[in-house]
Amino acid sequence: MMWFSNFISDFKFVFLESERYKLIIEGLFVTLEITLFAVLIGIALGTVVASIRSTYDKNIESLKKRKNLGYYVLCVCNVICKIYLTVIRGTPTVVQLLIAYFIVFATSNNDVQIAVFAFGINSGAYVAEIIRAGIMAVPEGQFEAGRSLGFNYLQTMFHIIIPQMVKNVLPALCNEFIVLIKETSIAGYIGITDLTKAGDLIRGRTFSAFLPLFGVAVIYLLLVLVLTYLVGKLERRLRANER
Amino acid sequence: MKDNKIIRVENLKKYYKGGTIKALDNISINVDEGEVVVIIGPSGSGKSTLLRSLNLLEIPTEGNIFVDDVLITDPKTDINKHRQKMGMVFQHFNLFPNMNILKNLTIAPTRLLGKSNDEATEYAMELLERVGLADRATAFPSQLSGGQKQRIAIVRALCMNPKIMLFDEPTSALDPEMVGEVLDVMKELAAQGMSMVVVTHEMGFAREVADKVVFMDAGQLIEQGTPEQIFEHPQSERLKTFLDKVI
Repeated sequence: MMWFSNFISDFKFVFLESERYKLIIEGLFVTLEITLFAVLIGIALGTVVASIRSTYDKNIESLKKRKNLGYYVLCVCNVICKIYLTVIRGTPTVVQLLIAYFIVFATSNNDVQIAVFAFGINSGAYVAEIIRAGIMAVPEGQFEAGRSLGFNYLQTMFHIIIPQMVKNVLPALCNEFIVLIKETSIAGYIGITDLTKAGDLIRGRTFSAFLPLFGVAVIYLLLVLVLTYLVGKLERRLRANER
Repeated sequence: MKDNKIIRVENLKKYYKGGTIKALDNISINVDEGEVVVIIGPSGSGKSTLLRSLNLLEIPTEGNIFVDDVLITDPKTDINKHRQKMGMVFQHFNLFPNMNILKNLTIAPTRLLGKSNDEATEYAMELLERVGLADRATAFPSQLSGGQKQRIAIVRALCMNPKIMLFDEPTSALDPEMVGEVLDVMKELAAQGMSMVVVTHEMGFAREVADKVVFMDAGQLIEQGTPEQIFEHPQSERLKTFLDKVI
């Protein structure tokens, strides 16, 4: 039992002495705060981008005939969305975070807000593709059935396609949430004390790497496990409704 | 000029890839009010493209389509209003899988015709009764057989009180033993005087129910006439060989 009492005393020293566990708890809340708000921005932004992209794909053939204002607006929006998706998905998140911190918001002092913004913009690109894939996964026949009944494009989307799309994307969307939790661990790059940074700070102060870093890893793992469990439950619930 | 032609198609063309593929090559046909027009022809002959052009699910390259004397190929025409008058039945049913049968039937009348839920439900139940599926009103599409699904799809279109019904190979995805129940519903509809355009491989149905049969091949309208003219006295070689193969 020698190792166990050693472990206990190490644990006390690393986490309890001078209330270092508070760093971890505060860091955890920062991580959750960044993730939650970034997800909200991501979903909002992703929905807009996905709407534009799929509206473009579905209507461009019929709009080509008329070439009215709507056609040109849609074309411009579509190009902007494509550039956004390419740039965000083609560059590392850390670089985007640093650009947001040192260039775009160089004058801002609210680091957490910057991180929320940067992760939100980043997540939006992935969410957009998830939602677009969800819309495309609804068979074309559903769309045609809606249109043939006399629904216009938007009515067909809202009454027929989107309810089916939501079922398709909810699991993937939750996975994006899980990915984002872990991705926010780079927030330390811009001086934010999130969960990872908190663990690292304790490592520096105690000259002990093992417990702080494994402690942090275990907390991430628990968060992810809980969320994965909830996603699984949600997925089963959605399937049950399908019959 | 008001006449009894509910659909007039004039010189309809649908080209792909800049004209190298001609899905519809200068098609002109009429559908009289209350008439049943059956379009037959080999796969890839443009039958479905023609049918889908009638409610602009397919956008023609050139040509005019008049429905009820309104030029629907004009971009200024509100096609959504016209589609409400043209029910469509698809090969693969395309029922909404996330809604029960009743919801499938009432969603369009309540949202588009301004019917109350009770009104729409009452009418839907009446129609369901007629096709013998009233007991499945709360079922979901996945719980139905193919034949039942297609009858529901017909009822869904009928719930909008259309003046014209378009059928795109309605029995092609069905088990043989379920074809009859769907054709029976269509026959009843024809007997009630519904204007219908039907793309099908069911020659028996064409012979028995059609007022006019149209034979298409390679995007062209080869022959049209009464079932007797088409099936008993085919003029063109192409139609003769086609009939030899399918009958």
